[in-house]
This record gives sequence, C-alpha cells and structure tokens, in this order.
Amino acid sequence: SPEDSHFVKVATCASLSDLFTRLNGLPNAKKDGISLSSKLIQPLLKQLNEDKFDAVWEEAVFLLCTILDIFPSSIQRHYDGVEDAIVLRLISGKCSPSMLEKLGYCLALLPKSRGDEDSWLLMMQKIMLSINNLLNDSFQGLEKETIRTEAMRLLLPPGKDPPPPLGGQSLSRETADNKMRPEHLQISRISTLIFCCCKLLTSSYPFQVAIHVLPLIALTKRVLMVDGSSSPGIAYMTTMKQEFLCSELPVLHSHTLDLLSSIVKGLGSQLLPHVGSIIRLLTNYFETSTLPELRIKVYTIMNVLLMSLGVGISAHLTDVIVNNSLMDLDERGTSSVAQQKIYPETTAKTSYKKRKHASTSSSLEEQPDSDVFEVEMSPTMGSLSVKIAALEALEALLAVGGSWRSESWRVNVDHLLLVVTRNASKGGWAKDGRSKLVSEPTTMWGNYQIAALRALLASLLSPGRTRPPHLSQGLEVFRRGSREIGTKVAECCAYALLALEVLIHPRALPFLDIQSTDNKYEVGNKWFSGISDRAANNTFHIGPSKKAPDESDSYNDDLYADWMRNSEDSDTVAADHGNDTDKSNQPQATLGDPSSEKLPSLDSTAVKDSKSSKLKEVAPNTVATKIPMDRDEVMAESQLSEETSKHSEEILPSKSETLASISSGKSSFQSSSLVSDGNALNPTGSEVQAENLVLGAKNNVVSLGSEKFVDSASRKEVAEASDAGFASSLMMNVDRGKELMHESDNESMESIPDIVDVEPDSD
Amino acid sequence: MTEQPELVIASSPTDAGIGCWDLHTGAEHLRYRSCSSPSHGLTCIGGRFLASSQSQPHNTKSSSSGSILYWSWNKPQVEVKSFPAEPINPLVSNGEGTFIAGGGASGDIYLWQVATGKLLKKWQAHYRGVTCLLFNDDQSLLISGSEDGSVRVWSLIMVFDDLLRGKARQPYEYSFSEHSLKVTDVVIGYGGANAIVVSASEDRTCKVWSLSRGKLLRNIVFPTIIDAIALDPGEDVFYAGGRDGKIYIAALNAFANPNNNYGLHILGFLSEQSKAITCLALSMDGGLLISGSEDGMVRVWNTKNHNIARIFRHAKGPVNNIVVVRQQSLLSSRGSVNSQVSSVKRHGVSLAPPLEKYANSTDENDYKAVIGPRNDPDRAVEASYISIQTLNNQILELQRQGSSSASEMEIERLKLDRSRSIQMIQQWEKKFQTLHQFCVTELLDGEQAGNA
Repeated sequence: SPEDSHFVKVATCASLSDLFTRLNGLPNAKKDGISLSSKLIQPLLKQLNEDKFDAVWEEAVFLLCTILDIFPSSIQRHYDGVEDAIVLRLISGKCSPSMLEKLGYCLALLPKSRGDEDSWLLMMQKIMLSINNLLNDSFQGLEKETIRTEAMRLLLPPGKDPPPPLGGQSLSRETADNKMRPEHLQISRISTLIFCCCKLLTSSYPFQVAIHVLPLIALTKRVLMVDGSSSPGIAYMTTMKQEFLCSELPVLHSHTLDLLSSIVKGLGSQLLPHVGSIIRLLTNYFETSTLPELRIKVYTIMNVLLMSLGVGISAHLTDVIVNNSLMDLDERGTSSVAQQKIYPETTAKTSYKKRKHASTSSSLEEQPDSDVFEVEMSPTMGSLSVKIAALEALEALLAVGGSWRSESWRVNVDHLLLVVTRNASKGGWAKDGRSKLVSEPTTMWGNYQIAALRALLASLLSPGRTRPPHLSQGLEVFRRGSREIGTKVAECCAYALLALEVLIHPRALPFLDIQSTDNKYEVGNKWFSGISDRAANNTFHIGPSKKAPDESDSYNDDLYADWMRNSEDSDTVAADHGNDTDKSNQPQATLGDPSSEKLPSLDSTAVKDSKSSKLKEVAPNTVATKIPMDRDEVMAESQLSEETSKHSEEILPSKSETLASISSGKSSFQSSSLVSDGNALNPTGSEVQAENLVLGAKNNVVSLGSEKFVDSASRKEVAEASDAGFASSLMMNVDRGKELMHESDNESMESIPDIVDVEPDSD
Repeated sequence: MTEQPELVIASSPTDAGIGCWDLHTGAEHLRYRSCSSPSHGLTCIGGRFLASSQSQPHNTKSSSSGSILYWSWNKPQVEVKSFPAEPINPLVSNGEGTFIAGGGASGDIYLWQVATGKLLKKWQAHYRGVTCLLFNDDQSLLISGSEDGSVRVWSLIMVFDDLLRGKARQPYEYSFSEHSLKVTDVVIGYGGANAIVVSASEDRTCKVWSLSRGKLLRNIVFPTIIDAIALDPGEDVFYAGGRDGKIYIAALNAFANPNNNYGLHILGFLSEQSKAITCLALSMDGGLLISGSEDGMVRVWNTKNHNIARIFRHAKGPVNNIVVVRQQSLLSSRGSVNSQVSSVKRHGVSLAPPLEKYANSTDENDYKAVIGPRNDPDRAVEASYISIQTLNNQILELQRQGSSSASEMEIERLKLDRSRSIQMIQQWEKKFQTLHQFCVTELLDGEQAGNA
C-alpha cells in the first residue's frame, strides 16, 4: 500500500543519513564512503523528481545535506541535476517553512561538492540575480527606476554575460498547478533565496572566496528602503497588490536584516570599508521601523557590530543606540508583571493592520500614525523583548565604548538603567523554578530582569569620569536579587556583587618583582615551574622553582595588612588626614564636570545615614575621595605632581580653612556610617578595629575614612609618622604633603585638587 | 589539542635575514634570507606568513620606490615582492591578517588588503616620516608615531568612510604632540576604549596616554633615549630598552618605591652590559621578555627573577626587530615541510598577491572581501543522528492511522454511512413509486382523454 512505501522511503533516507554520518567517524572509510554515496545520488535524484510527499522530500533533502557535508565530491557529477531539483521544489511554493529552510541550506551547501571558488561565486551570483528579478516584479511602482538599474549594474557589470538562470530555468515561469497568488509566491521565494545567501556567507567552505561586498549591501539597502508607499508619479500597482505587499513587507525586512547580520558575521573586519554605509542604513531604518521583531533584529546587528569592530565603531553607533533605547525603555506603564496584559504577539499585527488600512485608500503616508499607536499600547510581550534587545545593545555599548567620549550620554544612560532595573524588580524577582508551569510571559519577564541587571552591572563597571554615581543604589538592587537563592537572577546578582567588590575595596596589589632584586625574593609559582620544566634540557636554567607552597602569603593583596595597620597605628592618620582634607576642594571641581552634576542628589543614600544637614557638603567629598581608584586618574595625578609641587604652597594655606570645617563634619558622618555597617565595610572581620571606630576617636575614624590612601602614604610613612594631635597634624600635613610630592610615588593623592587648579579638564 | 609553539623572529638592518627560534625549546628554525628591515618593519601576517619592509640603503638605485617582501613559513627564499610608491618603514597587519598598513617616509600611511593586494587607502598622516604603527587590541584603531614627535590615533572606520570623515573636525581621533623629538616606539595595552598607549621618544621620555580621554597620564624621564618598549600583559609595568644597554622597568600600576635612585616611576633595570637595546617583545603570557641589541644578540629574560633565560645569536650586526608569534600553519618543524606544502595546496591557500603600488580604481564596487577557508571542527560533534527520531515520528503517524480505536471509529463512520445510504435508498424508492404512480395515472388519464 502507498502508506507503507511512504514510511519505508522516509526510514531509508533517515537511516542512510545516519550510516553516512557514522561512516565519517571511521578512520579509513573515506574512499568507500564517496563511492557508496555517489552510487546513491542517481536514485535519490529520481526520488526527488518523482515524489511529491513533503515528508519523503524532507528526509531526502536531509540525506543530501549530510552527503554534501561529509562526502561532497560524490555529488560533483550530478551538480546541475541536484540544483534543478531543489530549485524546482523551492519555487513551487508548496513547502512548509522548515522544508524551505532545508532546501535553502542544501542549495547553499552545493558549491562544496565542486570545491572551488568559482562554483560558489556562480551560485551566489545566480541567487542574487534571481532575488533581483523577483524584487523587480514585486517592487514595481514602489521604488524609483534608478534604484533598479543601479542594482542591476552592480550585479552584472555592463558588458558581462549573465550566468545561466538558477535551476536551469527561469524562476518567473509559473508552475502549472499553482494555486497561490503570484505575489505571495514571490515573497516566499525571495525569503528562501535570501536565506540561501545567509547560509552561503556563514557556512564553512574549504576554499577561499573573494566576494564583492557592495552588491550585497545594495540589496539589503534596496529592500529596507521600501516602506510601502508608492513612489510619486508611478502608479502601476493595483491597490490590492500594494496592500498585499505591505502586509508581507515586514517578513521581507526581517529576512533582509538576517542577511545583513550574516554579512557582518561572515566578513568580520573585512567589512570595514563599508561599515560607514551600514551604519547610515541602520540609523535611517531605525527611525522608521516600529515593529518589535524588526527592532530586535536591528539591535542585534548593532550588538554584533560593536563586538566585532570594537571601539572604532562605538562612537558612531552611540547616538542611534542611546536614542532608540531611551525611547524603547520608556518606563511608562511597565512596572510589574502584574500589569502585563498578555496579548500574544498580536501587537505587531494590529499596529500593522492599521497601517494597511490607511494604505488602501492612498499611498502609505500615515506612518506617524502607527508610531502613536505603538506608544499608546500597554506593554506586551513584543515590546518586552524589544526592551531586552535594547538593554543588551546598551550593555554591549557600555562594555565596548563606555568611556570613549561618553560625557554627553553616560549620565543619562546610567540613570536610565538604574531606574529600569529598579522598576523591573518592583514586582519581585522572577522565579525560574516555576517557569515550566506558568505561561511564557513570566519567563520573558525574568529574561527582562536579567538583561536589566546585566546592563546595570555594565554601567557600574564601565569606567567613567567619576566613581559610578549609582553604585550604592545598584548594590542594593543586586543584594536584594542575590537573596532569591537558586534562581538565575540570584546567579546574575552574585556575579555582579563579585565584580563590584573591587570597586568597593580598590586595591593595588603589590608588585612582586620589585623586591626580588633587592631582597632575594624568589618566585615559584606554577607558571614558573612549568617554564623551567620545559627549559630543563637547556643550557640556560632559570632560577629555583621549588618554592611553590610557601609563597602563598606573598600573593595576598595588602588590603588586610593595611586594615590592620590602620587600627594599630593611629599615627598614620596624620599623613592620611592631610590627603583627605586636601581633597576638600575637589567637590567644586567634580561638580563642574558635566558628568557629575547629579552627584549630590544621587548620593542621598550615603547622606541618609547621618542626621546632620551640613554633611550634605561632605557627601560629594566622599565621592570625590574615591575617584582616584580610576587608574588613569591616579596616573595623571602623579604625572602632574612634579609640576604641582610648586603650586601646592600657594594652594594649601587657602585650603586649610575649609579643611577645618569639613573635617569635623566629615568625621561624624563617617563614624555614623561606619557604625551602621561597620562589618560590611570590614571584610577582614577585624573586631578590634570596629570597636576602635565606634569609640569615635577622631583619628581612628579618619584613618578608616582614608583607607584608600593607606596604600600610598601610610605604608611608607608609618615609621616616620608623628604622634601629633589632630590640630598639629593638620599643620604638619602641609609639610608632609610637600614631602610626598617630591617623592611622588604613583599613588600619592596630594595632587588631585591641584590637577584641577593647574590643568582644568580640557574636554 | 596541542598549542602552537611560540616563535621568536628577529631581523636586522644589515642583510642578515630573519632568524626564527622556538621560544621555549630554543631550537632554531629556518633562517629566511635577504631581509634588511628598518625598525618596526617586520611583521607576521595573521600568523600565516612573514612580511618585512626593506630599508633603503639596500637598494639605493630605486630610491623612488620602496619594497615589501613576503616569506612563507617553510621557504627561506623571498616568495612575493611588492614595490610600493615610496619607501615604507613601519609595517603592521591586523590580528586576522586581513589588512596590512605601512608608514611611508613622507608621512603617508598606506593601507592594503592582504588577500587581494589592493591599496585601499593612502592618506597624509604626519608631516614627517612615520616611525611606528600598530593596531589596538580590537583592531579598530590604528596608532602611528612619527619623526615629528606626534602620535596619532586613527579610527579605521573614519579612514574608510569619507562621509563620516567629512563630518568630523579632524581626520584622526587624537593627536598627541607632547613629544618634542622623534617617536621611537608605541605600544598599546588591553581594554578597548580604556586602554593606555605608551610612547617612547628620542626626547628621553616615555609618555603614557589615556585612549578614552586623549590625555597625557604620565611622563617618565629616563636617563637615556628609549628605543623600544614592551608592555606587561597585566600592565603593572612596562619595559623600556635604552640606548645605554639597560632595560628599564617603569611602573604603571605597580607600587614604586620612591626612595630608589633610578628616577621617578622607574623601578629598576635589567642589564647585561650589552650595546644599545633596539627592540623588545614579551611572550604571550608575559613571562619572558625578549630583547634585541645592537650587538646582534637576542636575549630572553625571565620577567619574574630578571635572569637571562636564553640567548640567541642573530647576526654580527644589530638586531632591530623582534616579533613573538604563534605560527598558524599546521606544522612548524622543518622535517615536515612537504606535508605542509601539500596541505597548503589542498586548501588553496597560497601567499597573497603583491601589494599594489597605486590605488587603481576609486570605485568602491571593486572592493572584494575574502572569506578565508573555514573548517568548523565542531561539525563532527554537531552531525546528528536522525533515524530514531524520524522513525518514531513515522511510527506515531502510522499508529494513529492503524490503531484499534481508529478502526473502531472507522467502523462507526461506515455504519453511519450505511444507514444514511439505506435511508437515501428508501427515499429514492418512495419518490420513484410516487413518480411511477403519477406517470401511470397521467398516461391512463391521457388515454382516456384521447379516447374521449
């Protein structure tokens, strides 16, 4: 019976495919494999040409793909036959989407069988020409005549013979039993052929291909620039046809964006000469595209561009990403999952239908209309996934170019990301344990939360001009998230807290080598013993390599030691205090900086701890004192310290006034905050120290406040530090400051205010 | 998977060829012949082959044009010769080996596509000769140093795109002009936009620049002219090779003891009483520092204990270029050159065509991207066995058609059909009878009427 044979055919194809795969795993079976598979091609082709069942076809094509992948040379003789069969089926318009995908993949793999550049190029050219012809038919009346002649000129330079048509026959020849409308057929054909292009660009071939880039980009540009409105003066198109084409346009755009994405992925750095035009294309397209799926794709392409082309491109993508994500992440309405009205994917269609109706009467000129419509709708799955894509793009932007001329946008973006993440977490964190039981929107919401958290982390970590203004708020969000034990959110938050820990306790690890020349310090870590093993049979032996275990201490960072020293030697306060107070005129400078205008208000949580209102002046100060964490800043300071030492004498006296008032406020502020979270601040868990602090001895408090500077000053100065009282120590600071400036090691902090005075920020 | 060995390649301005050693075993590989490179003129293109610009005294006759030579890994002879429009000094390629950039003696920078040899761009970068060139770690920026003391940062996208360049105030991203004399070397650190650039100059200073802010971060004055710098991968320190034969260690992030007497930010030095240090390189992991000297020796130092780990003898004359590369070709030993050649043939990879002298066409349409041969090693893993799933699907389908419940439903349906048909037949019979009756009566009536 026919059912039986149908089943047998499918099973045979599937098993044969498996057999070939397995044969490929055997070491010496290549020759046999090729001869066997080449015997198979003829009957397989016959099967393909006769059989009409989709299921059989699907397996047969899969078998073909497997052979093409493993024993490509066996198909060589039947190259044209295979191409014909596949193309015939492909254009018939009777295939399921998965089937179309397989056919496209198979067609793209076909050049492997001949294994040379020419067949690849020919295939590409044939496909591009077919797409071009189909587009000419579809877009008639929707684009200017010059565009199509230009496209043709790029594909087929004048004077060159066109290649034989794809599949040995013209695509436009209609198959007899065609029940579909020609427009629909065309769109599905274009989509499949574009898919072929993607595969050709991204699959791996054992040969090198030199491909013209411009026609590919011109093709994407051509499709993306068609918005459904008829070009003025041309009215060939019937309203019906236009209406239909407009309804299918998003599909076409979506595939074209896939093609663009494949171009970016496939060509990598070689795309550089054309990146400028791609940026312009995407920027323009972004302005008009409103459909969530298309926006997601544009964001993704930008993401890939950022990752593959790095800093150089970030400056040119910043504007478009920031503007669009500000728009997409607009917080009106999205606050918790409870408010989510689950409209399954219909958003896109509704908004599109609206456009369509507008278009039926005249050409599509009511585009702004659809924009308004989109904004007014309550958040849906579609817009949520756009938000995720926007957050991911922002994350990539911050990671790649967060500090590259970012003064103008960082403040806004940092603030936005904090607000977005806070709002995302308002309704509670997503529990991914339940995700299998509940419907999809919840997992989508969870993904949104994670995307927001990751973007916030990037915004905190990406170096800016100042200490991240939202650090404390961000930490609070991450701490809350990390309590959701066992969820993805908690994982993400735990990672974020780990990454941010360095921001909270900045440390300069001691440099190993320095001492080694002086005090016979010998290194014996794993790396080293590895080298010496390898070098063992050499004439030159590298020093002893057996010390591995007992060196572990020396690898510890000096944070612990510094903390201990801090509480023991209150003497160091003198020096440190000087450093601290020197910075009292930093705030003005910091505030003058455009990127930190918001500092005082944003730091409100820090201020909250203390009741005293006058501490508000100090709040920025505490922020300012931590700035030097930024390595660049540190280096800049010390580089300038020589020059500034001259100026310091004039500057310091004037400072000592402000110093007195601020230092008192400051110490109380610090003591209160320290009491409140002394343990949090004190990872080493030194109880003694905490006690000391609570006692409120000014010196101790200040010493803790200035723990950042212990590295620089106290380590060297411990011995010399005087036991003087608070007031006298202030005076001493002036001297000490000068002294330090002359020594000016790389971490000395004296010069910070001076930098501002001497060399105002030139940006 | 075995790691590709790290190779040290070195060249000199005298015609001493290119020396090539395995960094970790010390074995000497092929010596590539007839190379006399200017400083920074030796590079390895994407790990695939070696390229070097040639210094001019070598061919004074044709001083109007420079020359760039290629060597494949497995042949000592020069394989490809190119003759750019003017003498090229520094030569560099991006990490993938798709573009090659050369700095001309006139201050122009040339940018070629390796695979086609096409001259993609040429632009006036400096007022005087370009002395060093390098790409940043994500290969999107090109940094050039010049005899006029300036260091400039170029964004490749801007270089290529006229429209973007038109919009910008200047064609470069930054121009650092604090050096008062010729820039001798430039290196860049890790970290995209946050990277630091360290430049050395004949004015006896090294300057550290911030890429994100375009500002001078640190100025370090050395007791001698620094000709070469190497940046530690961890960026604690950088090494600066001086004309006095010492390699100074200068602090970036590291803690510097201010009481030492070397100078501000200088932590110490490595020295072996050699002649002037001309070039420096670090192994990939930063554990070994390789220095080239005017006495023709290549010394390998251990950066942890500052001992010399190995010495290679390159030539009598000075060494002026050292590059550490991971060779990408399949094999590195001389013994298996043959199989390497055959594999090269099989994959259709040969050395690139010579570089164009002039930009032949301004038509952008001519630009071809070259997608190299790619083999995805994952394919074997990825290859899926489908028969079980396919058969299960088919069986499921068959079962749905052949199960007892299905046949019962079929019987029910047939029964229903049958009863409906019977009903139908009965109806038809009834109609037929009425019709028959009707006809008979009509006939009879008609007959009666006729008779009447």
